[in-house]
Amino acid sequence: MKIEEMNRENEMIYSGHSACPGCGAALAVRFLTKTLGPNLAIALTASCWSIIAGVPPLTALKCPILHCPFPSAGSVGSGLRRGLNAKGMLDTTVVVLAGDGGTFDIGLQALSGAAQRNEDYIFVCYDNEAYMNTGMQTSSATPFGARTNTAPYPLFKEGQKKDIVQIMAAHSIPYAATATVAFPEDMENKFKFAKELKGFRFIHILSPCPPGWGTESSDTIELSRLAVSSGAFPLFEVKYGMEWRMTTPLEDKRTPLGDYLGIQRRFKDIDSERLKILQEEVNYEWELLQDKVRRSEILK
Amino acid sequence: MPPVMINQDKGYSFGNEPISVNKTGEWRFLTPKKIKKLSPCSQGCLLDGEIPDWMEAVKKEEWAEAWNIMKRNNPFPALTGYVCFHPCSENCNRGQLDQELDIQAVEKKIGLWRLNNYKHETEPCSFKGRVAVVGSGPAGLSCAFYLTEAGYEVTVYEKSDLIGGMLALGIPEYRLPRKVLEQELQLLKNKGIIFITNSALGSDYSLADLYSKYDQVFVATGAWVARKALIPGEENKGVWNALELLSAYNRSKIPDLKNPVVVVGGGNAAVDSARSALRLPGVNQVSLVYRRGRIEMPADQSEVEAAEKEGVELIFNATPRKIETDQNQLSEIIFDYSKTNLNGLIIDCNKSFKKECKTVIMAVGQNADLSVLGLLDEAKTFIAGGDMISGPATVADAIRAGRIAAETIKSFLEGLPGPLDDPKEEVPILFEELNLAARLNMQPLKKQVDPVSEAGRCLGCGTCNSCGICYLFCPDLAVDNVGGRYEFNLDYCKGCGICVKECPARALVMEGGSE
Repeated sequence: MKIEEMNRENEMIYSGHSACPGCGAALAVRFLTKTLGPNLAIALTASCWSIIAGVPPLTALKCPILHCPFPSAGSVGSGLRRGLNAKGMLDTTVVVLAGDGGTFDIGLQALSGAAQRNEDYIFVCYDNEAYMNTGMQTSSATPFGARTNTAPYPLFKEGQKKDIVQIMAAHSIPYAATATVAFPEDMENKFKFAKELKGFRFIHILSPCPPGWGTESSDTIELSRLAVSSGAFPLFEVKYGMEWRMTTPLEDKRTPLGDYLGIQRRFKDIDSERLKILQEEVNYEWELLQDKVRRSEILK
Repeated sequence: MPPVMINQDKGYSFGNEPISVNKTGEWRFLTPKKIKKLSPCSQGCLLDGEIPDWMEAVKKEEWAEAWNIMKRNNPFPALTGYVCFHPCSENCNRGQLDQELDIQAVEKKIGLWRLNNYKHETEPCSFKGRVAVVGSGPAGLSCAFYLTEAGYEVTVYEKSDLIGGMLALGIPEYRLPRKVLEQELQLLKNKGIIFITNSALGSDYSLADLYSKYDQVFVATGAWVARKALIPGEENKGVWNALELLSAYNRSKIPDLKNPVVVVGGGNAAVDSARSALRLPGVNQVSLVYRRGRIEMPADQSEVEAAEKEGVELIFNATPRKIETDQNQLSEIIFDYSKTNLNGLIIDCNKSFKKECKTVIMAVGQNADLSVLGLLDEAKTFIAGGDMISGPATVADAIRAGRIAAETIKSFLEGLPGPLDDPKEEVPILFEELNLAARLNMQPLKKQVDPVSEAGRCLGCGTCNSCGICYLFCPDLAVDNVGGRYEFNLDYCKGCGICVKECPARALVMEGGSE
């Protein structure tokens, strides 16, 4: 990113939106719209961003937004794409923006259907790991051991986080990738790559949520960075469900998961046993991923 | 604003008013603020230079801006670019990442830019008062520069026929090209400074004479009286003192030195005369003898290394006892073993050795000649500085003394409070404090040849160097890019503090409101 290009006029987002201070999702959409815009149409399912985008006649984005019901993100995106195609607006990029609830839980059937039909748009899930907008209820994206408002003390979320990219990769879509706000260049590259492709593209963005995770608002980038360096949220991409590739240079040593969890109040009194289970899960997923990456390299 | 707007091209469109009417800055209870902390290079700098600031200007190739920042502390970057011992680079935090910055190369580039771009300019000035400066060494020149900038008419008196003091007579040409000095002096003349040469304080005029003509006087006559080692044979023919030799060398009057040459002393004058002697015709064997160990040498280590590389033989822990003469010509010099311990220098006369020599250069220190001042009680208050007060020191120290003298004189004449002797902050920004993780994709990068790329390696410890990380990571777009520099837009800043946390240079703080 060149310093001269970095100014308000080149952004697709307006100041004054109603995201919480330190919101990772606001930042993620800022990067998204800047890379994919300006010829961009967004279908927005119920999520934090429904609020951040503003109450008409005000809008936080410089591109059209189509608000849609919670379970329908995948289908509305398909309709929007076909509608635009029918009007001859073939070069408009369609993005479906959904939170983790609208992707992992409520929106999964429409998402799966659209992916199976290989609809031509980019599905972006910004994942803050719970239903943050409605008051921090557990979703299937919430990691094991975290405390939410539907799993208050002494409870915690049982069962592991759904591996959504693997689900999407299993649909053999042209492109699926993970990204996070601490690595804007990596995110930009993935959006640019996705924009050039046809068919269903899926990008999973980890966006830390200061009120929901119980962190300082200034820690957003640090958390996102720690999630990557600890291996809890590896950055990678999958092409056609087969070619798995890591997009960050592999560090020899991953940082301990405790560093990442330690600054989040939702993991405040996690005991050593749960921490161990979580660490083992992360290690296992990491090995699994590395295995896929290695096998893809052999297939090449 | 109508809730539904009719757009002729698109048909109906609804709700495309920017949300910027929401001034989300009202949510804020902590405010980010740009600050400036001490960088290790500035801490090391003898002139308190604002190094990260002019590095940033050089990075953007804003040379005029770089010079404006530079002259606040150092009016002669070309001179220091050649002769300063750059203690700044030794402290550089980047050294812990890959390699420290070559700060001096960038400084020199700014100096040369200035010499080339201010050449023919005669700056108009209106005079607030008249000040005399005695001595045209670095301290006198720097004082004259700052007083002229402040609007005073300055006359510089010089005893010798050459302007520049140590710069012209003490520092050999291989360290400071004469052309650079001449250009620098020409710029000062263009500024309206009057130089009077061949006029010595004490013999040609007295302080009282100056007070009858000028409002204030700055005396910086330097330290030119060679100290004596007080050993037998020191007055013999063939024994030179270092300054005598260096002045002759610098006036291109080639002194007649006979091979082999022994230099006694461990300061910069000793190293300079050893290196100069080696450059004279017929001299190929030069030894430098110092009474203490190598690390105790007051000379700059890089100069010592250069001398060693050129073939100067270095002998340590030896104190001269006697210089022997044979048939009206020096024959040898006798040294005793010596070393320092807690009580001072211990000389062991039983362990002595002889060194054959036909020339001896004594460089055992210089003193200031205070007799030129005359009877002090006759004169009014005057200000003195430079080597005259501090004893032999560096060019940078003298420039700093001149700057402080100029500030003091200005406050004297204008009835303002004098410059405060504010001690520097103790602890500069440490390498560990910098947030290098935020400098995305930062690869280690070794020293660059081009000064502009070299300036681009500056991490800007403690000073905003417009890296743009605060802009990049602001979720609220509350950082404005104003001509390449970043300013907070407090109408929208929610005070999340991401910018402060992520600032690589640690040049931001959150302030206001307690938690």
